[in-house]
Amino acid sequence: MDALINALLVGNGADSIAHSQRLLHAGVSVERIVIEGIEEAMTSLDEKCTVSQFNLLEIMLVGRSVTDVMNYLYPGGSLPAGSKDTVVLATMEGDIHDLGKNILKTVLMGKGYRVVDCGKDCPLQKLVDVSEKESPLAVGISGLVTSIIPLVKQVRGSLRARGLEQVKVMAGGAALKQSSAERLHVDYLAETAFDGANYLDRISGGAIP
Amino acid sequence: MNSMERVMAAVAFGSLDRIPVIAQVFGHAAIVAGVPLDEYIQDGEILAWCQLKALDLYGYDAVFSVMDVNVETEAMGSILNYHKDQYPTVETYALSKENNWGSLSTPDPEQAGRMPEMLKALRILRRELRDEIPVVGCVMGPLTLTTQLLGMETALYLAIDDPDRFGRLMDFATEVVIRFGVAQIGAGAHLPIVFDPSASPAVVPHQFFREVELPRLKKLFESFKQAGAAVNWLNIAGPVESILPYYTDAGVNIANFDYCVTPHVASDKLPKTCLDGNIKPLAFVESAPDQITTEADMLLKSFAGRGGFILSSGCEIPPESLQENVAAMVMTARNTR
Repeated sequence: MDALINALLVGNGADSIAHSQRLLHAGVSVERIVIEGIEEAMTSLDEKCTVSQFNLLEIMLVGRSVTDVMNYLYPGGSLPAGSKDTVVLATMEGDIHDLGKNILKTVLMGKGYRVVDCGKDCPLQKLVDVSEKESPLAVGISGLVTSIIPLVKQVRGSLRARGLEQVKVMAGGAALKQSSAERLHVDYLAETAFDGANYLDRISGGAIP
Repeated sequence: MNSMERVMAAVAFGSLDRIPVIAQVFGHAAIVAGVPLDEYIQDGEILAWCQLKALDLYGYDAVFSVMDVNVETEAMGSILNYHKDQYPTVETYALSKENNWGSLSTPDPEQAGRMPEMLKALRILRRELRDEIPVVGCVMGPLTLTTQLLGMETALYLAIDDPDRFGRLMDFATEVVIRFGVAQIGAGAHLPIVFDPSASPAVVPHQFFREVELPRLKKLFESFKQAGAAVNWLNIAGPVESILPYYTDAGVNIANFDYCVTPHVASDKLPKTCLDGNIKPLAFVESAPDQITTEADMLLKSFAGRGGFILSSGCEIPPESLQENVAAMVMTARNTR
């Protein structure tokens, strides 16, 4: 398992798949590979990526390897029923920068969450509709431009108006994190993708059901 | 002292009548003038007129011919989506990983895309302001242009998967930026500011900056100096602490620092380089004028014994900023001797 974790952390997708194959052939279950391999790798990356050391390139490389392994372990992309809570992600209408959202998606999937991605330039109405359908633990909004802030401020109220008071709203991204959770009317403002994932762990209890 | 003399004296750590203040007002100038942003970023005459109007309103120490981060990539074939009150966004990138890049040629700044409009704005601004107020053009840094040609994810993965090919594209991007920047100086810019958000340590590790971006920035700034740039100004946003020590080698004379770096750290890393910063950009939207005044006053006090400082925002002042907040920053500098 250590070899898989190391391959993931250096962003070597081919080696990561090879080690996963070897583990499967040795009788290790897919679930163990996810929990003791992928999630451990993400935890190590989390510890390494302090706010001052966080950089997209490193996360992207690990994220690509994690995706390769997940696609190998779950061909067709269907995650098992026992995965953690659902999280709905979006970059709001008026913002087409989705790299931050994609990084968060990778981190959350690596930690076992089920992620429903509403994509970039997402209208508020669509975000609320998807949330109503998916009953997520939380909605995550990423923003690189300040002009979307008025829309971000409406998310929690719109969810409540639809009877979704229990859904937490989390925001992050270069523009949004200059503000505060209070000003943005969200429940949590994440400094980094890992900070956001750890918040979700805290409010979900952190354990796989 | 006029603004040009004041800024040059700050760069030289010389004596000043007051600390210069440069609000990084780009699209905000359109809002001030009541002009739709999409018109501002496509018409050099309108841009220059809005910049002059904002200068009259605020009385800061420099004007900018800055449209958005997509001027170079559009001139090279990227397709943009224009929006009425927002900066344009890239719909289709000029290059893909699968392209053959053998036939790439640097765009002619007098012909390609919106480059001629930026040059037009510079000619007007320089004609109106002569050498009294710095007229600042703008180019992207080589890494930022590379990510704007391919898309951020594709470019960064290429940097790891095929570093030689990535390096060749970076070299080409450097040539594009040099040609555009030199044309801006020829059109009247006292200098082109270099925006390089993709080189931020929030995007790539500092070792990547040192190995990949630094040599190209050095070449860029040498070329600008040879073409007559008054000074070299680099703007990289985010937590730049780890890359600031490389700025001297790159030939940077004015180093922008963002709100996430303290004045003490920036001064420590670059003791002999003029710094500009670092009020949080969003504060100009969300804060009250007295908060901006307090922040500006603290910054001025931080640099009082050092010199080599220009009061500014950490990055662009957002277009939707409150005018009274921009005015508060400017007046704090103007009222402090």
